[in-house]
Formats: sequence, C-alpha cells, structure tokens
Amino acid sequence: MSAAAIVDTDPVSQPTASVGLSNRFAWLQGLKSPKTLVGLIILAFFVLLAIFGPIFAPYDPSSVSWETLQPPSAAHWLGTTQAGQDVFSQMLYGARISIIVGFCAALLATVVSVVVGLVAGYLGGLTDDLLSLLANVFLVLPSLPLAVILVSLLPKSGSAGIILIIAITGWAWGSRVLRAQTMSLRRRDFVEAARATGERTAKIILHDIMPNEMAIIASSFLGTVTGAILTQASLSFLGLTSVSEWSWGTILYWAQVNSALLMGAWWWFIPAGLAIALLGTSMSLINFGIDEFINPRLRQANAGTKAQAKARRAEAKARKLGAVGLPTRDKVLPPEDHPDSSVVLDVRDLVFGYGVGDDATVAVNHVSFQVRRGEVLGIAGESGSGKSTLANAIARLYRPAATTISGQLLYTNAAGATTDVLTMSDEELRRFRWDELSVVFQSAMNALNPVLTIGTQIDDVLRAHRADMTKAERETKIRELLGLVGIQSDRVRAYPHELSGGMRQRAMIAIGLALDPEIIIMDEPTTALDVVIQRQIIEQLIRLKDELGFTIIFITHDLSLLMELSDTIAIMYAGRLVECSPTRQFYQHPVHPYSQGLLRSFPTLSGAKRELTGIPGSPPDLRHLPPGCPFAPRCDQATERCQEHKPDLRQVMVDNTTIQVACHSLEIPTQPKEDAHVQQH
Amino acid sequence: MRVLLRRLVFYVLTAWAAISLNFVLPRIMPGDPVTNMVERFRGRLTPQAIQALRVLFGQEHSNLWLQYVDYWKNLFHGNFGISYAYYPTPVTSVVNGAIWWTLILISLCTILAFVIGVSLGTVVGWKRGTWLDALVPVTSFISSIPYFWFAIIMALVFSIVLKWFPLSGGYDVWETIGFNSSFISSAVYHAILPAVTIIVASIGGWLIGMRNMTVTTLSEDYVRMAEAKGLRKRRVVLAYAARNAVLPSLSSFAMSLGFVVGGSIVTEIVFNYPGIGSILFRAAQSQDYPLMQAIFLVITVMVLVANFVADIAYVFLDPRTRQEA
Ligand code: SF4
Repeated sequence: MSAAAIVDTDPVSQPTASVGLSNRFAWLQGLKSPKTLVGLIILAFFVLLAIFGPIFAPYDPSSVSWETLQPPSAAHWLGTTQAGQDVFSQMLYGARISIIVGFCAALLATVVSVVVGLVAGYLGGLTDDLLSLLANVFLVLPSLPLAVILVSLLPKSGSAGIILIIAITGWAWGSRVLRAQTMSLRRRDFVEAARATGERTAKIILHDIMPNEMAIIASSFLGTVTGAILTQASLSFLGLTSVSEWSWGTILYWAQVNSALLMGAWWWFIPAGLAIALLGTSMSLINFGIDEFINPRLRQANAGTKAQAKARRAEAKARKLGAVGLPTRDKVLPPEDHPDSSVVLDVRDLVFGYGVGDDATVAVNHVSFQVRRGEVLGIAGESGSGKSTLANAIARLYRPAATTISGQLLYTNAAGATTDVLTMSDEELRRFRWDELSVVFQSAMNALNPVLTIGTQIDDVLRAHRADMTKAERETKIRELLGLVGIQSDRVRAYPHELSGGMRQRAMIAIGLALDPEIIIMDEPTTALDVVIQRQIIEQLIRLKDELGFTIIFITHDLSLLMELSDTIAIMYAGRLVECSPTRQFYQHPVHPYSQGLLRSFPTLSGAKRELTGIPGSPPDLRHLPPGCPFAPRCDQATERCQEHKPDLRQVMVDNTTIQVACHSLEIPTQPKEDAHVQQH
Repeated sequence: MRVLLRRLVFYVLTAWAAISLNFVLPRIMPGDPVTNMVERFRGRLTPQAIQALRVLFGQEHSNLWLQYVDYWKNLFHGNFGISYAYYPTPVTSVVNGAIWWTLILISLCTILAFVIGVSLGTVVGWKRGTWLDALVPVTSFISSIPYFWFAIIMALVFSIVLKWFPLSGGYDVWETIGFNSSFISSAVYHAILPAVTIIVASIGGWLIGMRNMTVTTLSEDYVRMAEAKGLRKRRVVLAYAARNAVLPSLSSFAMSLGFVVGGSIVTEIVFNYPGIGSILFRAAQSQDYPLMQAIFLVITVMVLVANFVADIAYVFLDPRTRQEA
C-alpha cells in the first residue's frame, strides 16, 4: 500500500459481531427488543408457577374422587381426569418437574458442550479430531430412540436419570457451534497476545475466550431447554418415566392411555401441550434478541426494512395525492436544462441516509458533481467518508437499510437522452443496470457467487439483457471477454475459489464489461491485491478504457493511485464533497485544508522527501455531525465562522482553472488562496 | 469425490459405534435384562430362546471378545432374538412389518417439509420487513409444540369433530396389504392426518433457519452484484440468494432430522399408525429390550442413509466441497 493511502480507520461501522472485551455483556442489549421481552415475561410466569404452583394447588394431584371426567368448572378449573383427579393441580405440580428436568438437563448439556467445544476448538489437533468425531457421532444418532434405550436400561432412576440421559443425547449441536466460534476467536489479536505473554491455556480459555461466547452459550442453552422439555414430555408420553411423578408429559400419558380423546375430554390434554408450546415459544422469542445480536445483519435488516417500508408507503400515498415532495421528478429533462451532452452523469444534490433514531446517518450529504464521457473521475476519502455509499447510491444498490434518498442522478446515454436514475421503475432500472452502468466491487471474493462458475456469472448477464443471443454466441462472447482481461478461456468453467485473487478481480472486470456499458463504477477494485498484481490490473484497465471508451468512477482511499489514473479528483469528507478539481491542478495546488493535509503526507514525484505528517484527529461520527464545517475540529485554518456555518460546495477560480471547493477560507472566489489567509486575521 | 468417501467412512464408523453401544449398554448397566425377562416370561421361554437372549444381552461367564464376535454373527444373520411384546414373533418380523410404513411416511414428510419450509423461508426472508415477518413468531410457536400433542389436536379436530379422516390405523382392516389400488388409496387416506401433522410441526424449523440465512445472504456482495447486473428477480433469488442460503440448512440436516424422526415416532402412537413408533410404544410398555434395540439400530441406519443423501446434495450444490485438495 502506498504512503498516500488515507488512514483506514472506521469509527462508525465497526462490525458489531466482534465482541471486544469491554462489551462482553453487550448482547444483553438484545434483551430489550419487544419479542424478547414477551419471551422473558412468559418464562418468568412459568418459573414462578414451578416454584409456587404446588403451594396453591387446590387438590392433591394424585387423589382420586367420584367426580370423574368433569369439564372445567369453578371447583375444577381445568376439569377432572377419568379417576376424578384435578387437572389444574396436576398442571401446577407438573410445571415443577417439567421445568426442573428441562433446565437441569439443558444446564448439564450446555456445560458438556462448552467444555468440549472450547477445548476442541482451542487445542485443535488430535484432541479436536477425536472430540469432533464424538460430537458428530452423537449428532447423527437419532436422539429419541437412543434416549428410549437408555431409559429402559435405567428403569428406576427417576428424574435424575432422565436429566442425565437428555443431557447425553443433547449436547452435540451446541459443542459444534461453540467449537467453530472458538476456532475463529483463537486467531484474534487479544487471544494471540495473551498466548504470547505465556498465559496458561486454561486461563486463556476461561478469561479471554469464554466471555466472548456468552451470547452463543446463552442461545444454545435456551434452545436446549426447549429440546429437553420436549424430550422429557415424549419420554413421559411413552410411559418411560415414573408415571406417578406428575409432569406435563405424564398428564398426556394418562390422557392417552385412558383414551381421553375418544371421550372428548379435551380439558385433560390441551393445557399440558399448550404449556409446553408456550414455554418453548418463550425460549425462541428470547433467542430472537440474542440471535440478532450475534448476527447484526438480521438486526439491520429488521430496522432498515421497517423504516424503508414506511417511507415507501408514505411516498405511494403522496403519489396518489399527486404531490411528490421531492424536487423535479420529470423523467426526461428538456434539453435546455441539460445543454452539455458530453456529461454522461450529472449528480445533483444527492442525499442518502440510513438507519433510524439514534443511528440515523446521512452518509451522502448534498453531493453534486458531473462526469464527462470517457473521463476517469476519482473519488477519494477515508473509510466512513461515504464514498462507498455514494457508489452504491449511484447504482441504486441501497437495499436494505436506506431510509432517505433525494436529489437527482441524471444519466445521458450515448444517443443524448437524459433520464433520472432515481425515478426509474424497477424494470427500467433493471434494464439500465449493467447495460449502461456496471459496478466492479471491492472484494471479488465476496462479490462473485461462490456456487456458480465464472462463465455462468457472465452468461447470466447476457441472458438477462441480450435475449436474442444464441447459446453459441454467448459462449463466444464469454470467451472473448475473458480474453480481454487476460484470463485463459478454459477457465470459463472455473469456480471463484479456483482462481487466484488477481484472477478473480480480472473476472469481475470481465463481468463488468460484458454489455459494453457507458459507465463503470469501481469501488476499491484493487485494494485487496498485492502491489504487482494491482499495477498489472490498473494498466490493463487503462488500456481497455482507451480501447472501449467507457467512463470510470474510481473510488479508493489510495490517493497516489488516483493521481496516475484519473482526470478529475473529488475528495469526500464526512459524507460531503469538499473539493473537486482536475488532477493536475489538485496535485499542484490543493485548496481545501483537508486536501492539503492529504497531500502533505504524499511523497513528491520528484523524489525530494517531504515529511509524512498525516492529519491529526479522526473523522467525525456521521451520526452526530457538528453544526459547522465537519472538518473544523481537525483544521488548522478554522475560524469561529467554521464552527457555526457549513461551507457550501462552490465554484472558484484558482490558477485560471475552475474548481469546486467547500471551505470558508475561500471567501472571494477569484482570489488565490494566499489572500484568503490574510482575510482570516 | 473425496468428501463423500470421507463422509461414508464416518457413517460406517457411526453405525459401528451405535451397534457397539447396543452391545455394551446392557452389559454395563446395573441389572441384568436377560434375568429380568426370563423372570417375567417364567416357563414360557425355551432354552434356545434364553441362549439367544444371552448372546444379545450378555452372558455372565464368558469372554467379552467372544461375546462381541457372537453378537456380530447374530446381527449378520438378522437374528435380533424374539420379541416379548409380540411373543413369540421374532424381532426381525415385527420390525419388518412396521418399518415400511414409517420409512415411506417419514421420508415423504421430511422431503415435503424441507421443500415447503425452505421455499417459504426464502420468500419470508426476501420479503422481510413486510407483513410476512409475522409468520416468524407463529412458526416458532408451532415448532415448540410437541408433535404428539399436535397430533392429538389434529385428531380431535379432523377425526372426532369434523369426521373427515379416520382416527387411527394405517389402512382399512378389510383391505389386503399389497400393490392394489384400493389398498393404496386406503393407506393414503389414513396417512394424510399423520403426514400433515408431521409436516406442519417440522416445517417451522426449516422455515426459520432458511429465513434467517436468506436475510444474511441478501446483504452479501454477490447478491447485491446480481441485482446490479440487472438480472431478473427470480434468478437473483434462486441462483444467488437461496442457492447459498440453503447450504447451512443442509449441513444442519442431521440435527433437524433427529427431531423429525423422534417427533414422527410419537405421532404414530397417537394415530395408532402401524409403523415403528407404535411398536416402540409397545416395546417400551412391556420392557421388550430386544425389540427396542432393533428399532434403535434400524432407525439409526435410516438416519445415517438420509444424512448421506443430504451430504450428496450438499456436494452437488456447493462446488467448494468438490475441490480435490
Ligand atoms: S471551512 Fe473552516 S474548518 Fe472547514 S475546512 Fe475550511 S477553514 Fe477548515
């Protein structure tokens, strides 16, 4: 990576899945969701029932009476059995056994799976092989028949035996999940560090690894409780537990044995099953909260889509009323509004935000720029500056979490017709995509479908957009495309994992070129590659561009790469464009203090060593932007005005070149920068 | 196909472990099942029968290794002893009479539940944020219901109240079992209620798993790229999202299948279906250890085969596993 690479730290969107030591209990946050809350309330109800139920039971659950098979009444809330026993009392007593057995068995199973999973995952090697084999064997052995065999061999062991047997048949899944998690945690920095300082293995496992797996352990425990209660009920129902010890399963056993169904005694069997189902549901409801914590994508999806659906509904309503609140939404602009047909993409006042409430983020904040046909526009910025979001917004790839979007994305095709990409219908958008604008994603490893061959992934594009092409024509085209980017045509049938990193990225470019688009957006296309390969690919890209004449919007944090590649450079900071100039001009005379800072850390081409100072401070949190210039806290030219007023992006003349810049230090557009300095005093 | 070979070796190993477990358990557990049984069937057991029992469940005065060899010999001859619940029918015949009912019922139900659950899960995941999300808590309620209780409710509603379906059995008793249309239609008619019970009760697990995986997969770059490519929705959902999202469901097939098999067994009991579940119930009632043991082995083998089929599907769907390394 070159020295001019902008520091790649990202304070905004640290992946939540990486549980640092400081927030090891953060998963308890998940408990705040309404689903989880309902789950907890149901669970608390049943636990209280198990503790106090028998005290309040109106009858002895086993005592028989003459009132046989009574439907529910004031005396017998849930009716009576064939022997005249009170079902309500049986339910209260049954809660205790069912819940004790369920929780104890799950506790035991979880302890076993934690021990096995952590030890196997951490130690690896032969220990792992043997323990994993054991877990896998238990995983495929059908648990209920195994439990039946074990119970029948331990006929008089009572609940303790049942607990033991359920634990034996139920630990394997949890241990498999925990083992996988441990293996990935093991390679993390803080564990490596602990190992390097010579901490004891047991201590590392207990202090560094286990606390980070609490969420998964909790989730696996709750799942096992449900499983254990169901198994206990099944075993009781089969008559394999002590039939005089009241559990919900036992109630169902007696109901079945006495043909309660045939006698229409629904009150006898409905409460017990309902109680089991409710308890199980409460566990899964609690688990929803924990799952969303473990897998942040689930949470984002939920939060984002709700807001999006709301926005969609609002918009549909507005449309119905004939008043769309957004600016000019004419599909085709009159030509006088767009005199310069060499502009292929005209972005006007684009605003793009996601998240709701406290997390609401405006990632692209009133951004405007133009791209000319055949030009390379470089957009540079730190991670979190909104540059990738901008790329996604231009391709309208903002599912799932986008909540606000406004402005115009005016695209002019080769024939001179202009449309606003933001107002396209789904089908129009589908046709526009790839035919006019394609995207080369950041990581080819993630952007290529792992289960389809490279050839199929190109073929998909051709089939979707060129319905008239025959199979043979498509085949030829695919080979030709691969040839263009220097991939041997016999790799058509290769899967992504069979290609090297460089090859994958070339394949991505080949897919991007498939329909000969007008614009290709490249989002850090070479960041993951080593310098030599990176260079080869960039050179090839420039060659292809000259041959085929497409326009490139190149997004990166690597300024030095842009210097060579692009005609125009745009700098993004905190979701806004702060400077946009021709590359040469930008290099010689950066105007915005941020650009100056970036270039100060850039080695000169003449070789004279400049000090690599970098810019002190870190980019702002997009969720809480300061009222004035977002760069003010880090700016050495900031004035009071900068703290209060946001500078707009305006055209100024510098060295006889028109550039765009957003900074208060350039009050008088025509004057060079030195004067602006004077003005501040 | 190295992967499949490795899996095959693993399943053979597991089968061996299950069989050996069956050999070891009665010998290490407190109490002697043979003596128990001899006592209960006082006078009714022939000396040969007792001898056969001893081979299967332990002789007090014999070398353990020789016992093990004898045990395997018996298994290979299909000799699982005599069933006491169905005395004097040999265990093999009892199991043979029931296994086909269960095999057909469970495999059809599992396939249907998997296909329906995974398809619904894809749709619910794809349309997340819409009213379909309400299906998630509903399905988790349904999948927490014990199968057999759900079976009772189904029987209550559809057989007793509505009288649409027969309450119990696998076919009308006057039919002769065989490949004739009236028997088959009677069998299908009897199977509908148990089948619906098993399918509905087991769909939830697949649905929720697939829904969550689809949601996760949808934010993968390759799905976004598929959309950027302007592919038709159908293609994006099927070949890009669902095709990847289904893989974890297949790899957790083993665990889910265990639940389904356990659930189906108890469901059979409620409907008095002539399958493995009902004979297991009788075996458990009368402490018929030989029969229980045979049932355990047969179910284990069925589950192992099903797992192997799932593995084959996995390898077929995920080219990464086909890498020869
Ligand atoms: S507006 Fe003020 S704070 Fe912002 S970059 Fe310019 S001088 Fe610095």
